Amino acid sequence: MNLLKTIPIGEILRYMGCPPDRADPVSQAAAERAAQRILAAAVPRWTWMETSLSPEEDGIRLSSGLLLPGQDLKRHLAGCGSAVLFCATLGAGVDALLRRAASGDLLEALALDCAASAAVEEVCDAIEVALRERWPAKYFPFRYSPGYGDLPLSLQGELLRLLDAPRRVGLTASSSHILLPRKSVTAILGLSDTPVAASSRSCATCPGRDGCLYRKSGGHCGIS
Amino acid sequence: MEFRELLAAPGPVLLDGGMGTMLQAKGLRPGEGPELAALDHPDWLREIHAAYVAAGTQILFANTFGANREKLRRTGKTVSEVVSASLRVAREAAAGRALVALDIGPIGQLLEPAGLLPFEEAVDIFREVVLAGVEAGADLAVVETMTDLQEARAALLAARENSSLPVMVSLTYEERGRTFLGCGPDSAALTLEGLGADVIGVNCSLGPREMPPLVRELTRWSTLPILVKPNAGLPDPAGGGYDITPEEFAAAMAELTELGVKFYGGCCGTTPEYIARMAKALRGREIREIPRSVPAAVCSGTRAVPIDRVRVIGERINPTGKKLMKEALRKGDMDYMLGQAIAQTEAGADILDVNVGLPGIDEADMMTRVVKALQGVTDAPLQLDSGKPEVLAAALRAYCGKAIVNSVNGEEKTLSAILPLVKKYGAAVVGLTLDENGIPKTVEARLEIARRILDRALALGIPRKDVYIDCLTLTASAEQAGAAQTLEAVERVKKELGLRTVLGVSNISFGLPARPLINQNFLTMALTKGLDLPILNPNADAMMAAVRSFHLLMNIDRDAREFIDAYGQAKVSTTISAASSAPSAAPSSQRSLGQIVEAGLKGEAGAAARTLLETTDPMEIIDGILIPALDRVGAGFESGRIFLPQLLQAAGAAQAAFEVIRERLAGSAGSAAGKGPVILATVRGDIHDIGKNIVRVLLENYGYEVVDLGKDVEPARVVEAARERKAPLVGLSALMTTTLGAMKETISLLRREGVDCRVVVGGAVLTAEYAKEIGADFYARDAKATVDVARQVIR
Repeated sequence: MNLLKTIPIGEILRYMGCPPDRADPVSQAAAERAAQRILAAAVPRWTWMETSLSPEEDGIRLSSGLLLPGQDLKRHLAGCGSAVLFCATLGAGVDALLRRAASGDLLEALALDCAASAAVEEVCDAIEVALRERWPAKYFPFRYSPGYGDLPLSLQGELLRLLDAPRRVGLTASSSHILLPRKSVTAILGLSDTPVAASSRSCATCPGRDGCLYRKSGGHCGIS
Repeated sequence: MEFRELLAAPGPVLLDGGMGTMLQAKGLRPGEGPELAALDHPDWLREIHAAYVAAGTQILFANTFGANREKLRRTGKTVSEVVSASLRVAREAAAGRALVALDIGPIGQLLEPAGLLPFEEAVDIFREVVLAGVEAGADLAVVETMTDLQEARAALLAARENSSLPVMVSLTYEERGRTFLGCGPDSAALTLEGLGADVIGVNCSLGPREMPPLVRELTRWSTLPILVKPNAGLPDPAGGGYDITPEEFAAAMAELTELGVKFYGGCCGTTPEYIARMAKALRGREIREIPRSVPAAVCSGTRAVPIDRVRVIGERINPTGKKLMKEALRKGDMDYMLGQAIAQTEAGADILDVNVGLPGIDEADMMTRVVKALQGVTDAPLQLDSGKPEVLAAALRAYCGKAIVNSVNGEEKTLSAILPLVKKYGAAVVGLTLDENGIPKTVEARLEIARRILDRALALGIPRKDVYIDCLTLTASAEQAGAAQTLEAVERVKKELGLRTVLGVSNISFGLPARPLINQNFLTMALTKGLDLPILNPNADAMMAAVRSFHLLMNIDRDAREFIDAYGQAKVSTTISAASSAPSAAPSSQRSLGQIVEAGLKGEAGAAARTLLETTDPMEIIDGILIPALDRVGAGFESGRIFLPQLLQAAGAAQAAFEVIRERLAGSAGSAAGKGPVILATVRGDIHDIGKNIVRVLLENYGYEVVDLGKDVEPARVVEAARERKAPLVGLSALMTTTLGAMKETISLLRREGVDCRVVVGGAVLTAEYAKEIGADFYARDAKATVDVARQVIR
């Protein structure tokens, strides 16, 4: 299963802080070059597990006994009796490429970083498609990650342990809860027997909301 | 029976099989870690071990795989409790019929440079495990399922330094023949054998059918006995299982005797039945003796470089006679050194020499930092260049792979201080043919010193193939007869001692005109005499051309592929290209420097600045041209007329101009005149540094001197730098909610220590209110805003 066929150039430009339709040729070329280099360096890997969900007062409990604390996720998964927990990573080769780029040209470094961010979203989208196919009768609220809403990043290590991620896909969390390799995601995808409100990721749940340049200037990034 | 006897006896040695899956079958809940089984479920564990012994296992792996303090943290148990209980249960089950190994698995966090865990902390974590294992009576230690060679090194070093246990070290590879972190069996074998492993191998990873290519690679690069402990086939895509039966497993394992494998076991998905079948299949089988001849080679964690042809050692990371490198070392500017490393490897260097010796800096500390930083960006093996044993010890410890030590000479004090380090860390070593009496005049006397160095190395157990001799280049303008002597010495060392040779070639032409011509010819002459490792400037086209021509003419570069690849498209230049990216040609357009910066034309900016410098004062160019141009770009960015990528293009162009100006300023009295300095750091625990790097370049564009401490910076280092450099402004960056605490801590420490500076903070998750709350003086929403703060604070 090829998890990463292309990386949308428009997304890369958006992450670079440039509306795709107003990109100058140099930035456009940098984004295209970065996409090629990330595609060559990335070795996407993922792993998953199914879990039951039991809502409690302080959050939602998984079948392993792990409590995912907070109210946002509980609300988000209301009506889901079970969920898929998964993680995905572009691998250590991308990190090495980004480190190498960091001491060189800034535009190239930014473009590569943004291309890698766009790539890991692509990988997650492909995973989600595969998972949806696996449960054709289910309904799915959008995938949710630590850092969204009030779900703490400090869960990363426990989620990875549950997924046996260090051994299976080489994904770890630092003591400061940063995923390493950097361009990686952990997420929970709810499985519901009944249709869920057509909610999508919005500024309210976007992990980048606080620092978002589009929001600061009163706009929107265009991802709906 | 002792481990050494098992090792010496003919025939295969049987290990055990999977543990996690067996515990789950006994009733271990998903999510319940297997680490505490010896305390919580000793009977299950005993039964599993006993079943393996009954199946034929001769070495049981105790259930200590996750018994390190990081993994046990959430359980509240100590390493010593878990290790002693686990070994006790295993020993009871073994009942004298099997040895018991202390099993050491990964910590679960990535080490520097891929991650944040410092190497010495990893060594300390493993030291605690090893000491507990020794205390509990382990017969040997097994380091297994490693994907990071540096982590395997940490564990092996911890075992070597804190016990006399035999150590087996095994990594886990993917189908492409590399670990998750990119380490191949070649680097693993060279490094681990050098560091004193008793057995190396492969575990987990794949199924037994995927083992042969990995085993062949290991035996190509090491003479050590081999361990193989694969999974029960490949993971079944449909779910948690593996895809081969005990019979298939046993048959595939038995075939590995043909490749000379000594230790046989199973990993995930294998059970006592797999081991019993395997024992039966192996019974009576002989292990084929395969003669092994490991080539001379060095490696990094991800790349092995055999010295089987001319290998170029890049000489540029060395402050001698290099103003900008000296300045970079004094400021601790890693990016400059990393840029030099990347430029040299792109130009064709196979190995990089690293010398950071400069009066007034802590050479051991700097060497360690530079080695770690270099290994984060290049896979070229390094040659660690210092005469000081303490510097070499620190560098060898930090270095992942098999390095070259440069150097020892015939003097007793270097031999007795440095060769033991070479041995301990498994490096190769350069021996200079000089001693306390200087460089001998005669060839014979140089050979004599080479022999002395070789004998001492051999006596310590350093293999002959890891001793490289440098016959020393003398400046032809001072000692014209010296060149021929050196060449003859190279030839005789090669022929009579059979050793690899190293030679720094650039000095030959010192004080003469047309230096590139002399250097190139001397290099070619030396290559024909048998020089293996020229140390040179790979950015000099003429030198790389000589090496490539030699390979072509000696029929090493088959079908001239590499030569055509290098020169098929372009003319060969015989001059030395500028180290910086600025082209030396005059600007093609008639644009002014200000217009060039605004348009973001990086390629033209350097030349335009160089032209301007002929008529204009450097500071006037900065204040009168660069800064106003950047201001106009900044205003466009603020108003939303242009976007970040264009701001960066302008910054890149200004940077190219500034580099030219800085070279001029570094040449004049004092160091580069800069306002400030401004200290920049991404706080402890955080590794996102692209925003900080953008801030840095913009500040430099505006003429500020920036001391960039990098990422994951301890609060104390920020305080130390701010105080030492009397910095009026400190800029801190954090991108994660989880690292804002470290930002607050850094600011508090600056205040508590009474450092007289203002603090500006930035990063995606920060807000102006939060910045105020944690005691920052300023919040900057972007790089441009940081420059505005600097202008306000520093006048």
